[in-house]
Amino acid sequence: MSRFPFRKVLIANRGEIACRVERTLRDLGLASVAVHHAVEAGAPHVRGADEAVELRGATPVAAHLDIEQIVAAALRTGAEAIHPGYGFLSENARFAAAANDAGLVFVGPEAETIRLMGDKISAREFARAQGVPVAPSVTPTGDPEAFRRDAEAIGFPLLIKAAAGGGGKGMSIVRSPAELGEAARIAIGEAERYFHDGRIYAETYVERPRHIEVQVAGDGKGRAIHLHERECSVQRRFQKIIEETPAANLPPALREEICDSAVRLAAAARYRNLGTVEFILAPDGRFFFLEMNTRLQVEHPVTEMVTGLDLVQLQLEIAAGLGLTLRQGDVRVAGHAIECRVCAENADNGFLPETGVVRLLEAPSRPWLRFENALEVGLKVTADFDPMLAKLVTYGHSRDEAIDRSIAALRELTLLGVRTNIDYLGRALDHPAFRAGDLHTGFVAEHAAALAPRTPAPGALHAALIAAALGFREFRALANDAPEPYASIGPWRN
Amino acid sequence: MGFSITLDGAAHEVEILELRPRLKLRIDGRAYTVTGEQQEEDGRHRLEIDGRPVSFARVHVGARQALRIDGRTFEAVLVDPRDEADAAAAGHDHVRAPMPGAVIQVHKRVGEPVSRGETLLTIESMKLQMALAAPRDGVLAELKRGVGETFDKDEIVAELEPLDRAGD
Repeated sequence: MSRFPFRKVLIANRGEIACRVERTLRDLGLASVAVHHAVEAGAPHVRGADEAVELRGATPVAAHLDIEQIVAAALRTGAEAIHPGYGFLSENARFAAAANDAGLVFVGPEAETIRLMGDKISAREFARAQGVPVAPSVTPTGDPEAFRRDAEAIGFPLLIKAAAGGGGKGMSIVRSPAELGEAARIAIGEAERYFHDGRIYAETYVERPRHIEVQVAGDGKGRAIHLHERECSVQRRFQKIIEETPAANLPPALREEICDSAVRLAAAARYRNLGTVEFILAPDGRFFFLEMNTRLQVEHPVTEMVTGLDLVQLQLEIAAGLGLTLRQGDVRVAGHAIECRVCAENADNGFLPETGVVRLLEAPSRPWLRFENALEVGLKVTADFDPMLAKLVTYGHSRDEAIDRSIAALRELTLLGVRTNIDYLGRALDHPAFRAGDLHTGFVAEHAAALAPRTPAPGALHAALIAAALGFREFRALANDAPEPYASIGPWRN
Repeated sequence: MGFSITLDGAAHEVEILELRPRLKLRIDGRAYTVTGEQQEEDGRHRLEIDGRPVSFARVHVGARQALRIDGRTFEAVLVDPRDEADAAAAGHDHVRAPMPGAVIQVHKRVGEPVSRGETLLTIESMKLQMALAAPRDGVLAELKRGVGETFDKDEIVAELEPLDRAGD
């Protein structure tokens, strides 16, 4: 008899995370239902599920955001729970409520908690009330003059953010009072367009901040634990590309203080589910609450690597009402883990997204590696979805070993047909500042010149040119059309 | 006989010195002997350069090649001398999308004069917004995409009146 009150779980997601959740469901003896738009019929996450339901939508993303259709799909297939993955509807309070109203278990927090944490202003207020440090901030009230006065009282630089924001949208750094009015106006416009909510606020901008986040788990009854921290400071366009745990060079007392703050917040919110409390850490050791993500995080595998825990399993246990099966003392960290996000983008040209078709895929396989993906040869990489293609997660006994293994794995990883950031990730890991753990969210910009591709040594460069030459029809034709004794030599097999 | 190949944007001359008994090439003044070329079942290619084994992967993407060799990806294009002259002449009439995505705002009307650098369209792709600017002074001749419409990378989304008519 299963300890779970549900036997079938619908995964309201796609790609690598849907495949990841399917794996744990299989391990636990639970059935899975995949959802997909017509353009993804036959995708790995569809084939990997026990059942699949096609969602209709004007665009593939619209289909994955269609609450009514997804809940109906769960009911029709007899699924009794919904796992939302990350992105899409994972932090949508209406979705959580709709699932509950339909008698389904939502593998996540209460809708109320999602609402509280989803609004950055209310989340900050809540954190402050629990004694969690929050950066000084001001909120515009409609009187621009008062806003400027309040802002000057906190001091510049300031960072403007959208209350309903995320993903860097509506964010800008303001360095002087003169820029404030215009920056606020633009941010309000962007916030209205992206989030249909024009509320913004401005907070103290920390220079050279590190992004440190704490993985927490709560049982919904006020008990919470943490699964230690992750550092996600290497970002481009306000989005993470390299994450690791433990954070490098973090003094133990500070680490403990940050983790304890996160647990305090989760416990006070009577948080149910796994979640992530994000902080920015200033060079002087001050840290401030940034936001709480009330879902599984993209970078959760690094935590799994060092703790040996299955975070999706923990989510399912909590959702099933089995509570927290772990105590804080049971959570032990060994070694170091690094995640690299493989994205379809041109790292050498502003990280602009790229499209194409996966023509060749060779992923390394080692006991210390996880290559989380839903890739296959023939997969069309379009602008329909996020540019993240896969995650390479590497374990090492030490940080140095994790870095070296990651670099070696990235070199072995072959993904051709669409341009990716694979080589850029290798260069970032190999940069002396990364190796030294000298990280901040401006790492990518600060080291842009050093992280640009270097001209290879002549030997390597010429080998690549020879390989290229032999691949061009015109080159081969010349060889084959040449008069005797040069004719019909075909491949040069000597 | 020589070929010009650009590797990651930089042009190199690859010259065939001999085809038999062994393929001999000269690149940037250095001669190499290439032997033992074969393609494995897994799609990898192997050959020997001056007797040293080299393994690599290759796919063709349109006229380009993507190569994975020695832990690094290169993009190679065979330069056709005829193309170079054409490209130099035509380039500035078209506004091409630097990434796939959708139009979210149109800033100019067809027939309207535009200055170099002025924003014609705001586009969005995978959470990133950017302005597409006029590549030169001129008149907006055609908008190929309107608000909400999507396009692929390198697609022409707007055209300026042709340069040869600009002075009429």
